[in-house]
Amino acid sequence: METLGYLGQGFGVATTPLNLFTALCGTLIGTVVGLLPGLGPINGVALLIPIAFALGLPPETSLILLAAVYLGCEYGGRISSILLNIPGEASAVMTALDGHPLARQGKGGIALSISAAGSFTGGLIATIGVTIFAPLLAKWAVAFGPAEYFVMMVFAITCLAGMAGNKPMKTAVASLIGLLLACVGIDANSGVYRFTFGSLGLADGIQFVVLVLGLFSISEILVLLERTYYGQSALKTSGRMMFNMKEAMLVKWTVLRSGVVGFFMGILPGAGATMASAVAYMSEKRMATKDNRFGNGDLRGLAAPETANSAAACGSMVPMLTLGVPGSGTTAVMLGALTLYNITPGPMLFQTDPQLVWGLIASLFIANVMLVVMNIPLIRVFTKILAVPYWALVPGIAIVTAIGVYGVHATTFDLFLMIVIGVVGYILRKFDFPLSAVLLGFILGGIMEQNLRRALSISNGELSILWSSPITWGGWALVVLMLVLPMYRGWRRRRAAVPANP
Amino acid sequence: MIYQRLFLVALLVVYAVLAYAATTYEAPFSYEPVGPRAFPLLLLILLAAGTVYLMIRPGQMAEENADTPLTGQVLGRLVLCVLALALFAFFFEKLGFIVSAFLFAIAMCRLYNGGWVTSVITGAVMSVAFYMLFDRVLDVPLPLGVLSGLGV
Repeated sequence: METLGYLGQGFGVATTPLNLFTALCGTLIGTVVGLLPGLGPINGVALLIPIAFALGLPPETSLILLAAVYLGCEYGGRISSILLNIPGEASAVMTALDGHPLARQGKGGIALSISAAGSFTGGLIATIGVTIFAPLLAKWAVAFGPAEYFVMMVFAITCLAGMAGNKPMKTAVASLIGLLLACVGIDANSGVYRFTFGSLGLADGIQFVVLVLGLFSISEILVLLERTYYGQSALKTSGRMMFNMKEAMLVKWTVLRSGVVGFFMGILPGAGATMASAVAYMSEKRMATKDNRFGNGDLRGLAAPETANSAAACGSMVPMLTLGVPGSGTTAVMLGALTLYNITPGPMLFQTDPQLVWGLIASLFIANVMLVVMNIPLIRVFTKILAVPYWALVPGIAIVTAIGVYGVHATTFDLFLMIVIGVVGYILRKFDFPLSAVLLGFILGGIMEQNLRRALSISNGELSILWSSPITWGGWALVVLMLVLPMYRGWRRRRAAVPANP
Repeated sequence: MIYQRLFLVALLVVYAVLAYAATTYEAPFSYEPVGPRAFPLLLLILLAAGTVYLMIRPGQMAEENADTPLTGQVLGRLVLCVLALALFAFFFEKLGFIVSAFLFAIAMCRLYNGGWVTSVITGAVMSVAFYMLFDRVLDVPLPLGVLSGLGV
């Protein structure tokens, strides 16, 4: 009941005219950014941080803005997947599998409306989940000491690698690179300059905005250059726009199941929307025994990943708000935004800033409703935006990126650093290292080292403090599970491959 | 595969340099058992182990990379794009935002297959519009550079 009271208070925050207007702008911007090919929620959120900061928005308002953009991107991403067969980001890949065939059969309108309804339901299920689970987890997490935190971070990193499917080692290396990047700059405890090589620009460490925009904006610009294509043609959405009762009944259970799956996948640190949509799609495909048309335009195959990725987007707010451990690349960016406001995310947030936390949760409900209301009538307008050519889009992105980076410290050193990071990020990407792992590592790096050192200070250097409480045992057990999981999967794959080619 | 191995070797060299640098980090006086050196060194050891593993078992590449092979022409364009970015960063304060963004936008437009006329128009509109939006409306101070004498 206490929760309901807080939620009511949250709605009080979220329904102030400024916050409502911000949520509306955020959902609109998010949808547009999400549907532009090549731009995903990370880029959208990262580009908006400097702007939100410059506008002098209070922290809860700018967090609402970022969350609305995040949800909007998940909605917008489906439009380019369905009509162009170009997923705007990794989590929309599964949507294209069945969405694009539907559009080619002339059912584009139905595909768009049913996926909007799916996203809405998924977001709603997950937001209810956040409302129930986040306060519980926060209450429990207050008991965490530095040792427990350190174990939790180790779990987050191994979870990232363990859930990464076919490239656990690359993900692990990428997140370690992120952790190492967090060490650059002056060491807070001893005052030693680390990895600065005498450069004054690095003394402060690598600025978060510089890293994010370099990794995601600059490398994206380079990837877009590779793919510069000429007349891309979006499929027309003719005929019926709304799905009918029969179609809704067909996907009813799929949507509910995928929403729950998506929420729980979203909670796991590092798994995020991409994994959620893949898992939901695969399990629905396995379950659909009769008239299975997955891959050729099955409505269930479209609804499952769309529902799951919206649910995961909301679910990933849970570890961000309660533990200060981001559940996805985008929440990692949001966490970085919070630290710009000098707010330390973690279990105490529920006590120190209830209006921030509950305002955010309430605005997730509101943004979801706005998105579904906006998406059905405005779909024709949004599809027009798909026709924006790269030569107009890319210079705009590049200039806004540069302004965002320059705005942090007003030095051109940061611009050069961003370009270097962008080029390295592009190379990493070409070799198939996931960049969001680098970002998560970077966010976790600082807190991870601090907690390790604090724990060992308490115990006077005794390492055994790291496994001295039941919570840490549980944490290490999960770490071991995440290390064994990819090995087991690799072993099973090799065993399955042997009879196939003797 | 060969390029990937080369890249991994380069990474190992970087780790070695960083590890060498890290060994010199010594706190002049310390209140805590773990100094500034332990954590980075631990990370570097794990990184080296992971990188060596990847050299032995590289794994398969994503399909995304398979259909956009890096031909000489694409590579040339990528270099030009990075060069344009670097020049933009270099002249950002020297020429000021409006002039450098104008030139940069033209270069980028051309790189992404825009025509000459559209490029110049795009550059002019973007540089002035973004300056007005950020410097005047959003309060992100941008350098005026050579235009600062005009008193706008």
